[in-house]
Amino acid sequence: MPNDALLDLTISELAPRIQTGEVSPVEVTEAALARADALQPRLNSFITLLHENALDRARAMEDELADGKYRGPLHGIPIGIKDNIATAGIRTTVGSLVLSDNVPEEDARVVTLCEEAGAIVLGKENLEEFAAGATSNNPHYGAVHNPWGLDHIPGGSSGGGGANVAAGVTFASLGTDLGGSVRLPGTFCGVVGLKQTFGRVSQRGLMVTSFNGDHIGPMTRSVADSAIVLQALAGYDPLDPSTVPVPVPDYLDSVGQDQSGLTAGIPSNYFFDDVDAEVETSVRNAIAALQELGVEIREVSLPSMEYVGALRAASLADGIVTHEPYLASDRDKYGPNVIYRTMAGQFVLGRDYSKAMKAQRLIKEEYARVLQDVDFLVTPTAPVPAPRIDALEIEINGETHRVRGPGSGFISRNTSPMNGNGLPAITVPCGFSGGGLPIGVQFIGRPFEEGLLFQVAAGYEQVSPSLGVRPQL
Amino acid sequence: MSISYDTMRAIIREYGGFELSDEELELVRPEVEGYLQAMSEVADLDLSDTMSSRLLRAAEGGNSDAE
Repeated sequence: MPNDALLDLTISELAPRIQTGEVSPVEVTEAALARADALQPRLNSFITLLHENALDRARAMEDELADGKYRGPLHGIPIGIKDNIATAGIRTTVGSLVLSDNVPEEDARVVTLCEEAGAIVLGKENLEEFAAGATSNNPHYGAVHNPWGLDHIPGGSSGGGGANVAAGVTFASLGTDLGGSVRLPGTFCGVVGLKQTFGRVSQRGLMVTSFNGDHIGPMTRSVADSAIVLQALAGYDPLDPSTVPVPVPDYLDSVGQDQSGLTAGIPSNYFFDDVDAEVETSVRNAIAALQELGVEIREVSLPSMEYVGALRAASLADGIVTHEPYLASDRDKYGPNVIYRTMAGQFVLGRDYSKAMKAQRLIKEEYARVLQDVDFLVTPTAPVPAPRIDALEIEINGETHRVRGPGSGFISRNTSPMNGNGLPAITVPCGFSGGGLPIGVQFIGRPFEEGLLFQVAAGYEQVSPSLGVRPQL
Repeated sequence: MSISYDTMRAIIREYGGFELSDEELELVRPEVEGYLQAMSEVADLDLSDTMSSRLLRAAEGGNSDAE
């Protein structure tokens, strides 16, 4: 197999070849770096590429294999890291000019875990400025382009990772998700994006914008690969008080299990209310496919979604507190979209913050009740396929919605509720728009039941019209 | 929902906020009005007896085997 063709494999397909010595970590890393270099002018998916570090690491992983040491399925696998996740000795800009010279002294916990599992970090991936938006149209490092349509956004804020996984540059990328920032690049770039349960993965080393919903999660080209990466990341971190000491199961055990006997809940309100017709058709087809797989389909109602907008008060207030020192010292280094969204946080009343937290509790209780009757929920991941990079607004059902900056948030309306309620959610490709842009379906599960989501998502993946379809670059 | 420049300026002045020019206030306004609109939707909701919590338990709402 030519080295370049190795990059079209999944981790599950490549790992056994590395384990047996058929493929070396060095040759796959060289191929990935070559593709990264070739595509960077078109995708702009990296802020920092780490040629030397990656090749040194690949040689070390190769030496270990020669000595008979195999760390597991991430051994020798090239990955990307979003540039708001700390990497020791490597600048971590958070997509900002403010932190353009920021060089952390310690790796984020997830970076340590990936390296302990044998992964090779190719570089730090481009993102929305301060991870505060859904476009990855970065004013300082340039816009990230979608491999399926270079004039379109890859989604955000983890757009560099979504683009890299879709384009076969990385086999997995770690993104962060405060309102959908892993799942939106997942759906727009036609890859699998996972936001696991709040507390399942350490956030230590992430510049956390809000205590109330930031997550680090993987983007991959298959559901099984998502399970492999989560396996490496999941677990209690005594130095991150947001993590929960719940035992970590073997996630790959769930992949390939039968779906029959499971019950899916289809929300009758909110999630399908303001959705592009092609998106709705693709997701309804996915629901029909689940039924064919033996899943019972049941309509469910989530009336508390009427109050979900109130959670905005908490994220705005958290945002201004996070940015306060930077706004005080480097206000002129901010791009206009982020600074004016962030500045709105100074007008939030404490009373409203409390109301937001209590409304959030009501929403969580309602999901808990509904998820006693069904095993998982199915929704569109995003209401639209990827908008154009130059779009300031999009129109759905005669209403216009801002895509970026103050007053935006429409694109993340189906993903952000799960940041508030903390439930695990995964997006899986489920078809294409007439313009050839990917569409994703979102499965939402009970707390710490990522295994069930992998079971469902892997079953659906095998019958999805997206299976095996890759962007032509 | 709307908020006047005077109110926004007063909040900044009295609570030690970040100064904003009139032009900047106009840029911030859509986000502030979105927040006010969202809060109006919970205005009549009785939250006096609601417990707030963040952590999820494995068994919360589901059939997890975890304790």
